Amino acid sequence: MKLSRQDRVGMALFMTPGMLLFLGFFVLPVFYVLAVSALEWNGMTSPVFVGLNNYLRIWRDVVFRRSVGNNIIWALVACCVQVPLAILMALILNSKPRGWQAFRTIYFFPQVISGVALAMLWSAVYNSEYGLLNGILHALGRGDLARNWLGNLQTALPALLIYWVFYVGYYMVIIMSDLSGITQDYYEAAQIDGAGSIQQAWYISLPLARNSIMTCVTLAAVLSLRQFEQVFLLTNGGPANRTSTMVLYLYKQIQNMRYGQANAASVMLICLGVVVILGIRRLFAMRSSAYE
Amino acid sequence: MSKIMTRRPAVYLSRGDSVKGAIGFVVKWLLIIFFAVYTLFPLIWLIISSLKTNTELFGDPFSLPRVWQFSNYQNALAVSGLLKMMGNSILIALLATLANVVCASMLAYCLSRFRFKGREIIFTLFSAGILVPLNALMVPYFMTITNIGLYNTRAGLILLYSAIGIPMSTFIIRGLMGSLSREIEEAAYIDGCGFFGRFFRIILPLSRNGLMTAATFQFLTCWNEFVFANLLTSSQDVRTIQLGIRYFTNQFSTDFVSMYAAIVISVLPSILGYVLFQKQIVSGLTSGAVKG
Repeated sequence: MKLSRQDRVGMALFMTPGMLLFLGFFVLPVFYVLAVSALEWNGMTSPVFVGLNNYLRIWRDVVFRRSVGNNIIWALVACCVQVPLAILMALILNSKPRGWQAFRTIYFFPQVISGVALAMLWSAVYNSEYGLLNGILHALGRGDLARNWLGNLQTALPALLIYWVFYVGYYMVIIMSDLSGITQDYYEAAQIDGAGSIQQAWYISLPLARNSIMTCVTLAAVLSLRQFEQVFLLTNGGPANRTSTMVLYLYKQIQNMRYGQANAASVMLICLGVVVILGIRRLFAMRSSAYE
Repeated sequence: MSKIMTRRPAVYLSRGDSVKGAIGFVVKWLLIIFFAVYTLFPLIWLIISSLKTNTELFGDPFSLPRVWQFSNYQNALAVSGLLKMMGNSILIALLATLANVVCASMLAYCLSRFRFKGREIIFTLFSAGILVPLNALMVPYFMTITNIGLYNTRAGLILLYSAIGIPMSTFIIRGLMGSLSREIEEAAYIDGCGFFGRFFRIILPLSRNGLMTAATFQFLTCWNEFVFANLLTSSQDVRTIQLGIRYFTNQFSTDFVSMYAAIVISVLPSILGYVLFQKQIVSGLTSGAVKG
């Protein structure tokens, strides 16, 4: 269909509001962040150009380096533990055991509850006085292990990491939608060749679900870099900044009116995101050429 | 026979009387049950705890309440201004969803039914928009909303929420609009149906499902959003329910059971929504992810 005059006018009208919102809240903010990261600015006095000084300054800050480290740990745990668990559960539920639809509903459940409510729930679980976890330990006769999980230098980060690592529903559902599209002929042929269910999963399901697995790994990494609510609400970066993340660092810079440094942290966060996404793409491209 | 074999490969194998099959069966069900308990148990514990007295909670975190304390829920509603905040959340999420879906469906119509210069660039930008860590844009969002005089207003949150959902909603709706056949549209065109007529009379009604999916996803995102709500509001009057839960901790400093009741109340709409719109929520979350 060729575009008529009316089509052109209509398209201009229809695209303007959405594109304006996108420009205003995605494109321009990225440029803004880049620009302000080169300024010394507290929001009140006039800004001074300082080049890359903000980057150097936050990089020298031990809290920022620890935040980057925590984000990387977070991303690694998400990609190397959470996603494989999701794959495992997707394979299991894809074999349609009794009640699999109910289990799929249950596993997906934490995804619809707000991060705040989950954080509050888990702060109750980890609470040192009346929490569920210490309660279980006392009930098992190991009351000596009970502690203030989120206030302890050794346990704070693992406690934060562990609780969502077993929430695999989101990734599991994405992978399951891919698995259900695999034609049954492959499995039939494999069975005739005497392949067991583990071999079938390894040689048929996983390679063919490659795209959704890549999606999940990408999402897991990106969401880990965004990590804020859980940390903010459960530990606020403590104890002694052991659990800080890049976004929490950025948030605290904003609160201290150090906008230049906050934006330098933003730029580094975005860059890290780009590097991670491209890295994952490349990794999977290598893998896929190995299959072809 | 072949149907049974191919549809349930794992079950078929576990029926074999080998020991390996039996172990596989046990491991499979242990995993299924572990994940289900892990997801549900803390939640059920929270609900039961919200019906106990504080003394009972401190005494034994696992006991059932002797008398079910529904008054905790009355306390929660009385103390925290919960209803007011829920009203704010509903208003903000509804209007942001409406604005978002209107803009996104008009955009999706142009992107899916017409070919024009710059279409590919918009796709690339939107894909990047889905993956960019939005938390990194806190400073520009704060500045924009403050500069246009919407700091600490519901309108500010509505504007921001409708904007940040644009790429995701557009992708979801475009997915459905793109799958509609050209023929109906062409017939309408020959009958003298213009740009707007085709949109309102043909494309829009036919993509109802896509609109529902996008709207459900967007509503849930708005309802659960915390970071920007925290950043862009300061007074009790405009706070959303998610901020409410966060500040419960201060309000109920020692009255834990009422705090739990408040958390349960805040989660109820999500649970209800999930039960009613499970299909839309799941497909919204997954299709958006796969496109990104």
